[in-house]
Amino acid sequence: MAKHHVNLKVNGDEHDLLIEPRKTLLAVLRDTVGLTGTKEGCSTGDCGACTVIVDGKAVTSCMVLAVTASGKEITTIEGLASDGELHPVQQAFINTGGYQCGFCTPGFIMASKALIDENPDRSEEEFRHALGGNICRCTGYTKILEAVLKAAEEVSATA
Amino acid sequence: MSEHTVVGQTVARVDAVEKVTGAAQYGADVHPPGMLYGKIVRSKHAHANILGIDTTEAEKLPGVKAIITQDDVPSGRRVFATDKVLYLGEPLAAVAATDPDVAEEAAELIKIDYEVLPVVQDVMEAIQPSAPRLHGDDTKDGPNRREIATQIRRLSRDKENDHSNEISKLESELDNYPDEVYYNISAESHSEAGDVEKGFAESDVVVEDTYVIPRVHQTYMEPHVSVASADSSGKITVWASTQGPFAIRSGIAGTLGIPLTQINVIGTTMGGGFGGRFGVIITHVPAVLLSQKTGRPVRVQMTREEEFTDGRPAPGCVIKLKTGATKDGHILARQALAFWDSGSVSGASIGSTIRVRGVYKIPNLKVDAYGVHTNKSGTAAYRAPGAPQAIFAGESQLDEIAERIGMDPVEFRLMNMREEGDPVPAGASEPKVGYKETLQAVADAAGWWDREAGENQGWGVAVGDWTNGCGPGGVYVSVHEDGSVRIFHGSMDITGTDTAISQIIAEILTVPYESVTIRRGDTDSAPYSTGSGGSVVTFTMGNTAKLAAEDAHQRVLELASERLNMNVDNLELRDGAVHVVSADPPKSISLGELAAYSLSTTGGPIVGKGSFARQPSTPALAAQIAKVEVDPGTGRTRVLKLVASQDVGFAINPMAVEGQIEGGTVQGYAWAMMEEMQYGDDGNINPGFVDYRVPTSADLPTVESVIVEVPAPNGPYGAKGVGEPPITPTLATMANAVKDAIGVRITELPIKPERVVDALKSNGH
Ligand code: FES
Ligand code: FES
Repeated sequence: MAKHHVNLKVNGDEHDLLIEPRKTLLAVLRDTVGLTGTKEGCSTGDCGACTVIVDGKAVTSCMVLAVTASGKEITTIEGLASDGELHPVQQAFINTGGYQCGFCTPGFIMASKALIDENPDRSEEEFRHALGGNICRCTGYTKILEAVLKAAEEVSATA
Repeated sequence: MSEHTVVGQTVARVDAVEKVTGAAQYGADVHPPGMLYGKIVRSKHAHANILGIDTTEAEKLPGVKAIITQDDVPSGRRVFATDKVLYLGEPLAAVAATDPDVAEEAAELIKIDYEVLPVVQDVMEAIQPSAPRLHGDDTKDGPNRREIATQIRRLSRDKENDHSNEISKLESELDNYPDEVYYNISAESHSEAGDVEKGFAESDVVVEDTYVIPRVHQTYMEPHVSVASADSSGKITVWASTQGPFAIRSGIAGTLGIPLTQINVIGTTMGGGFGGRFGVIITHVPAVLLSQKTGRPVRVQMTREEEFTDGRPAPGCVIKLKTGATKDGHILARQALAFWDSGSVSGASIGSTIRVRGVYKIPNLKVDAYGVHTNKSGTAAYRAPGAPQAIFAGESQLDEIAERIGMDPVEFRLMNMREEGDPVPAGASEPKVGYKETLQAVADAAGWWDREAGENQGWGVAVGDWTNGCGPGGVYVSVHEDGSVRIFHGSMDITGTDTAISQIIAEILTVPYESVTIRRGDTDSAPYSTGSGGSVVTFTMGNTAKLAAEDAHQRVLELASERLNMNVDNLELRDGAVHVVSADPPKSISLGELAAYSLSTTGGPIVGKGSFARQPSTPALAAQIAKVEVDPGTGRTRVLKLVASQDVGFAINPMAVEGQIEGGTVQGYAWAMMEEMQYGDDGNINPGFVDYRVPTSADLPTVESVIVEVPAPNGPYGAKGVGEPPITPTLATMANAVKDAIGVRITELPIKPERVVDALKSNGH
């Protein structure tokens, strides 16, 4: 299959790649760029495990063809902590016990970060609905919501 | 419990940072150089004869490196179907290619010639004489026939006397039970205590109902995956996302006829398991075979769709249950006849039917259970295997009895619960368990006693019991010159168990939790450890860790005694140093100094060893209360409140324990209200998250958890396994709440909107 030239900016690094047009952003991030923190839970856009941030918006990377992401700013879970300091959302997931097996966690953290960046002042109910595209099978969501609310509070206090 | 400093405290888990930064390595994150991508070729029919498999077109596709079928399994053990398939998705062949998309294309190009056969998916149809037989004429008798047949056998064994008359009379009696001959039976289990007929006769109220519980998928978020690499010497390395690396090692060895020592299984971080991550054929064996054939590492990873068609979900079942009680509230008898949907192979947890007994004094009990073959994949464990189904029936029916005799459901349960010293089957007597404490705790926390309900609102309560298993394990503990402590073992961390082990060892060696690190070895290096299922890990490995730490503790005291020239009896380990008891001025030597000193002694470094196999645990109870609101127009049920209490023995890490309670309760909620694998003549028809809905954060409110601690005598610090119990009562909790809200008893799960609307209609609403 003919390959296309793609320029991906991932966590600030540029990657010039030749890839088949059928490859998803998820596949390219994991198999070609080698960033395996983004997870594949369904590959049909229904679980949110593959959530990354593209130009400030949370997207399910299994539903995006990599060629269409060329030139855009992509942030994955690996790009969230800076200078060895965890992002408030990451820290909150640790403090509240917002993860168990951790497989959904990168997706949840990225989705939550995008929501909080957009507007941290949401009620629990609003966050519950806004995160409805992400599935966690372990936690029952109680502690995830605690984490997200805590992080949102912290972000809005420092904003 | 205040004498403890590390256990009983909430600490951040040992894997916290790697889990929130994406650094944790799960199965699909393993990518050795030169790795190929495997794909399993699956049956497109639920029941068919296989007339031919043609791989020629697929072989021509560039990038395809190997195609294997059952002919490539040297041991002859069944890995792929050959002449017949019994369910949609059954493996027929596997492909390895340089790219995952190429592997998929190749799989599509393999031509399978089918002769389609009639399909049976419903257990109650499968037991009929007219049903297609999946495994030839696999017929077993029903309960009454079975009893008569046993009598005949007994009589004919007695050669001393002539019983021919009796025998022929009994033989003619068999004809009285024509509809009790069940077909497609894979296994059966029977037990009896007391005399149920007498119990029902003495009862004032007898309730009988049939409960139908669907097959559901564990839906761990990481689909099955393994990476196998066979080198030229024949040594095989398998990176497996599994609950039991040692079980996978012996499973591969047994299936392929390879010596154990030639296989090394490296357990990767696991994206959930819930009992469903033990199977060896699913991906591990095909990956090994493909790697052996190509000489390159191969990854076999299931898609979510493959998980639904060829995973090993929890069995559905049909339970006919009858309960009798006196009008003052004493349960006298209970009888169950259950048919478990085992799928194409045996293995459904039919023995769990006995859990209809619950935690109650029931003097007369009879249980007959059958596993039934249908055209579905086989089943596996799912969090307290078999208990949620049986307890759904048992606890739903208890509420019906309570209602008929006009008793409060909580009081009715409290009154019938077993107490310490009560007789239980198998000879023993009831240990001390917090049955009543746990139920009372949830009732108090939920506000049960002064509960209020608006229109179409209702409250439901149920309890479920489970006892954790136990298995062999080994742990090593080393103390280093800087005073740090390193743990080495071989059991998979199932959501927090490594943390609990670390806490226990820190506690005994009196060091801060932060100075302890823990490493899991592979099957080549680590001491044998039991699989991480059955809530065994904290109980088993916690006890093992305790032994290892106590062994190290002993060595530390010996070293200090040598170093300080003091009798061991005058020494004590506290705050990370050995102190001379009541020395003035105080005299002590730190663990680090002792570890450094040990390097030049005859006895050598500080290495503690713990090895442990078996101790009985005590049951754990989970009790839950839900408040719901049902919209009679749409049939939609909204949960307003969900409170879950559990007797955990002792909570080593309370936050992690709460997490287990919350997660298990929500899985139970999902089974009650939304999840159901659906099957038609073509097999599973909802193999994805659009049609198989699992709950999201939008479906539920906060789950309130209440920890009750009645210590288990053999548990580490009194701890019991906590993972499984919380799923057991929720199915009935929800059904009981819905009944309270709309006055209609729903006996078939899930309680989906259309079912509620239908039930209301047929009840004249
Ligand atoms: S993997 Fe992309 S949404 Fe599930
Ligand atoms: S922590 Fe396991 S799926 Fe969310």
